Amino acid sequence: MTHTQTKSSALTQGIIIFVFLAVLTALEFGIALLLNSLVLLTLVALVKAGLVMYYYMHIYKLNQDEHGEGHDSYAYKTGTNRLGLWLFLLSDAFVFGGLLVSRFNLLGMTRPHLNQTLGLAVTAVLLISSFFMNRAETSIAHGDRKGFLNGTLITMLLGLGFVVGVVGLEWQLAKIEEVIASKDVVGAIFYMMTGMHAFHVLTGVILLFTVWNKGRKGLYSAEKHWGVEAATVYWHFVDVVWIFFYPALYLIGTLAI
Amino acid sequence: MKNMKPFTRGLVLMLLGHLVGYGVGLGLDTLVSGRMNFTASIAGFFSLVVGVALFFHGLVGYRTITRGIVWQILGTLGGALFVTGIRALMGLKTFGPPFLFTEPAWVFGGLAGVICFLLGHGVVDDWIRMARGLDVPEHRADAPGWEKFYSPSLDHKVIGVQYTITALVLLVVGGTFALIFRTELAASGLQFLTTDFKLFSQNGLQFYNTLMSLHGMIMIVSILLGIAGLMNYLVPLLIGAHDMAFPRLNAFSFWIAPPAAVLLLSSLVLGGFDTGWTGYPPLSAKAPLGMQMFFLGVFVAGWSSILGALNLIATVLRMRAKGMTAFRLPIFVWAAIATSIISLTATQLIGLSFQMVMFQRLFGMGFFDPAKGGSPVLFQHLFWFYSHPAVYVFILPGLGVVSELLPVFVRKPLFGYKWIAMSSLAIALVGFLVWAHHMFTSGMNEYLRVPFMYSTLLVAIPTGVKFFSWVATIWKGKISTPMPSAFLFVVGAIVVFLMGGLSGPPNATVSTDLHLHDTYWIVGHFHDTLFGGFVFPFFAALYYWFPKATGRRLNETLGRWHFWLMTPAFFTLSLGMMRIGLLGMRRRIADYDPLQGFDPTHLVLTIAAFAIALSVLIFIINLVVSLKRGEPAEGNIWNSRSPEWQVASPMPAHNYDTPFEVVGEPYDYGLPGSKYVEFAKK
Repeated sequence: MTHTQTKSSALTQGIIIFVFLAVLTALEFGIALLLNSLVLLTLVALVKAGLVMYYYMHIYKLNQDEHGEGHDSYAYKTGTNRLGLWLFLLSDAFVFGGLLVSRFNLLGMTRPHLNQTLGLAVTAVLLISSFFMNRAETSIAHGDRKGFLNGTLITMLLGLGFVVGVVGLEWQLAKIEEVIASKDVVGAIFYMMTGMHAFHVLTGVILLFTVWNKGRKGLYSAEKHWGVEAATVYWHFVDVVWIFFYPALYLIGTLAI
Repeated sequence: MKNMKPFTRGLVLMLLGHLVGYGVGLGLDTLVSGRMNFTASIAGFFSLVVGVALFFHGLVGYRTITRGIVWQILGTLGGALFVTGIRALMGLKTFGPPFLFTEPAWVFGGLAGVICFLLGHGVVDDWIRMARGLDVPEHRADAPGWEKFYSPSLDHKVIGVQYTITALVLLVVGGTFALIFRTELAASGLQFLTTDFKLFSQNGLQFYNTLMSLHGMIMIVSILLGIAGLMNYLVPLLIGAHDMAFPRLNAFSFWIAPPAAVLLLSSLVLGGFDTGWTGYPPLSAKAPLGMQMFFLGVFVAGWSSILGALNLIATVLRMRAKGMTAFRLPIFVWAAIATSIISLTATQLIGLSFQMVMFQRLFGMGFFDPAKGGSPVLFQHLFWFYSHPAVYVFILPGLGVVSELLPVFVRKPLFGYKWIAMSSLAIALVGFLVWAHHMFTSGMNEYLRVPFMYSTLLVAIPTGVKFFSWVATIWKGKISTPMPSAFLFVVGAIVVFLMGGLSGPPNATVSTDLHLHDTYWIVGHFHDTLFGGFVFPFFAALYYWFPKATGRRLNETLGRWHFWLMTPAFFTLSLGMMRIGLLGMRRRIADYDPLQGFDPTHLVLTIAAFAIALSVLIFIINLVVSLKRGEPAEGNIWNSRSPEWQVASPMPAHNYDTPFEVVGEPYDYGLPGSKYVEFAKK
């Protein structure tokens, strides 16, 4: 977790966390099938979010002390930037929190009629994208530009795949199942939540593209790559949001009529 | 034209722009409706935006803010035409009276206009360069003279002034709206806002509703910009930083506010709306187009608040001078932090709730439509989750100003520093748990009433701590006479806010609120809290720090006139409102029954409102005159211990030439030999 970590051990850690997340997602699905317990599903989501925030988003870095280096050093400024980014995420989290509150207030313990296979598939795509995002960041932190560019590119493509899966496929399939935005509140909530999230995924893809483009020009190094870190943390944040939205839309409660 | 002063040239061009815009709009409206309507919305819209654009063109020429507004106009029209084109392809309605474009076209156009403003103004240029991987210099020199105030300056002091001036402009606009409908209220019956009155697709009653609603929101935005101005200007100076943590974000936070103000004002001409500033559905789901422009304007202005708060928290956490530990921070900084915690997080919820109504109108998504299973009460929960804490956003910086200035003027240590610091945080945090006291009569679940009553009453405790500290600080203080205007306004703030505070608990208590809800009592109460918590301290801060910003003092005689006119007039206004409120006067309505006997009181209220307006006019004259001819202010004119007064006024671009270190307690006034800051030797 510190600078002393070697590249291979950092990559291994990324893989282990990914396996954990995958197993927890499967567990989540199983809980929904067998027990349908709100408490357990919430717990699993919290554990998943905690893992991502600690091991992928490195929230502990907020606590790093760069005071020894003076206010004008790159390290200190990066620390300030990091704080600013996390404050922004905190603010943004209130939007998604508000959407979750609206969902439970309006739908209670019912959920829209959605395609479960597709839901699991897009969730997996986003999870895999987080894994590659982590690889990309780890690579640039150890000076491996090629690994970073490849990882970012794959993440971007997977992100676009997620948007296509949700907006291109799921929205069309949902329409067939009578989940329609203007029909009733079930449709309204579904399109609002997925739409807001997809909007964030798209902005994440744009951020990743600028980072990838700058990386191609050789503007990042092992020491100076705040831009990469920012895009990475934002990307994982969008993933954390989906960790809560997925069970809220697909798993919790019984089907709405 | 060339020989005129820029401001005169701006005014002349503005008049010309209003005329040209009116003509263009009238022509377009005639084209789509087939008949001449001299009070058409479109004529009003073009008259408004072209007038504003040409005003700034006269002031600074075609660059920065002027280009921003021109791009906003073009962006709005382009966006609206884009959506209209798509609608044409889909075979939907395209053009038509009374608003030329359809509602979706206006909403998309409005949003595109804001983005175009930012691109045209140039405040995002650096970010675009960064994203493309081009070099961006760390600092940028400001344009000389006045021009820097229209350009994307990165200096927190310039941005602070930009915020403050915009706040004053909006204060005047919102105040003017109030005067118009206050005049209508002076007697029972309808005087001039009658059903025969026609303006911007509204009759007199609708226009009353629009003005009343916009008065609320424009004043709120004005207050948000006002506190942002104070915090931006002061916090880096007080903590010894050379600027805010994120100067570009700081400029962005300010420059997103002017296009939002344009949107808010355009809601006046585009059909208006009649929900009051709260925009409750189901009424807001049916109100005219102005509703959408209002929602969009507030949504955009909200980003100014969110990003400004983010910047401020990061600045205080990361940029403090050496030795400035948590409990040696100036008390105003504590208040600013508490305020920013609310702005950063809760603002998202008003944005979300407004966005959901916008989508309900645009796409038929029935979040708040009971016919589709939605719940109007949910809107109120989301809305008040921000809008109640928001009042603490408005007052906490003001109360911080009071605590900051009081020890300077009574030459005594601030009583209970830590308690004051913590009380600001406590108000902010408890503020998150009280929102539903606005909903006692809304039909929400009844079991929620009592918990929210107690949590609301809890706010009185930290607020009481502040009063206790102020009184104890004044106790046996050395007050010099004549009292400077800044001090007068501090004392005024304490007294007025006390009245606002005492009139609060009856509204928090369920049994009394059921009767007081939606009466003028509430109107009186919150005007008290906002005058005591923002307006008086804001003026105090302006009298106190104007010399720091300009190197000249404000005129004290005019200052006293300002104070002694505004204070009694305001007491008359708020106490009068509370009186007729208790007697049953409903709020928000244009007319009342003469048999209720409110006519004399309403007449007095109207006169008082004009007296307040006159006092503000005196202040603005004072501001303009003193800028050029004010008495020069050299050195530490208030004999303050605060670091910004230990150096020359106005401050240089990057604040302190030599860094300082904090070596003592901030408010040890009157204690011999005590020191707060020590500057490094050059």
